[in-house]
Amino acid sequence: MRPDSLSDLQLDAIREMGSIGAGHAATALAQITGRPVAIDVPEIRLVPVTEVPGALGGPETLVGAVFSRLLGDVAGSVLFMGVRDALLGLIDILHNRPVGSTKSLGPAEESIVTQTGFVLITAYLTAIGRLADLTILPSRPAFAFDMSGAVLDTVAADVGMKADTAILVQTAFSTEEDRIDAVVLYMPDPDSLEVMLGKLGVV
Amino acid sequence: MLQNETARGIGGEDPPVVLVSTGEFAIADHPSVLLTPALGSCVGVAIWDAVRMRGALAHVMLPSPGVALKDGNPDRFATVVLPKMVALLGEGLVLKRFVAKIAGGAAMFKGDTQMASIGDRNVEEVKKQLALLRVPVIAEDTGGSHARTMEFHLDTGLVVVRSYLYGIREL
Repeated sequence: MRPDSLSDLQLDAIREMGSIGAGHAATALAQITGRPVAIDVPEIRLVPVTEVPGALGGPETLVGAVFSRLLGDVAGSVLFMGVRDALLGLIDILHNRPVGSTKSLGPAEESIVTQTGFVLITAYLTAIGRLADLTILPSRPAFAFDMSGAVLDTVAADVGMKADTAILVQTAFSTEEDRIDAVVLYMPDPDSLEVMLGKLGVV
Repeated sequence: MLQNETARGIGGEDPPVVLVSTGEFAIADHPSVLLTPALGSCVGVAIWDAVRMRGALAHVMLPSPGVALKDGNPDRFATVVLPKMVALLGEGLVLKRFVAKIAGGAAMFKGDTQMASIGDRNVEEVKKQLALLRVPVIAEDTGGSHARTMEFHLDTGLVVVRSYLYGIREL
């Protein structure tokens, strides 16, 4: 199934999955931080993987990304990504201190971002899995921190043989004071997307 | 393929930059500068014709189409784009004296072995194709785990590789 051949109804179903996933991720984040976390109405689009850097401020923008493969009933991969400042802000929220306190991304911060990103990915996949009645599990996460273009090139090369279009969920997590912009890229194989849409009854 | 049509004079202005996106290639003449941003596991291949001050730059994404080539731009594969580049660059020439410089092929993600090998395989296939085309690789900055931006100057054949980790390197 090619993304450009999707009907309006199917696109709606994909948007719905994206926004339910983001909602669950926000709940998880609220539980980790012990503070209420709200999400903005997420913007959900289907975009070629190589065009995603444009949504994040150009190919040379510094981003951190957590990558997992999909295991279980579907195949594909998922990426949680944020620009450098957003990730530093996320670390501050997790440490319960004012945003702007964390200045650098060392091994300890890298680990926090990887684990938190992984929790958000898992929350996201669980929500989609429950909705479509499928078992979707993430693999052990891998972390990268560099130019967004290069990170996405690598992901695109990895999925390049099958899926070159990703479901881009762009959202902001906000606590009472702060706002963290983040992106989740969901890249199911075309066959898996068909299975999922079939389960949702919109083939 | 992009063609450079806006070559400006030498009146102190910045040289026109020809941008090469992922999975594409471009040919240009001096004073244009060829640029490809953010190479991850992809490999940037610069092929230079010193006599004509002309060159081609490709942003190679994968080694070969294999069995899965269905759609998309075939220029993203090393086995497709490199012969095409050398043929276009050598049009009308009896003697081809090209040299190549390559950069990229990094392993961007820590902790994913499957993805770590894509960069290595790209570099390997690019070198193999260039050897078959009899274009010697005279300089390279490949491997590692950092992203690179590659800039190719066509008067001197200078390739500038920029990264957040190492700053500026000249090949």
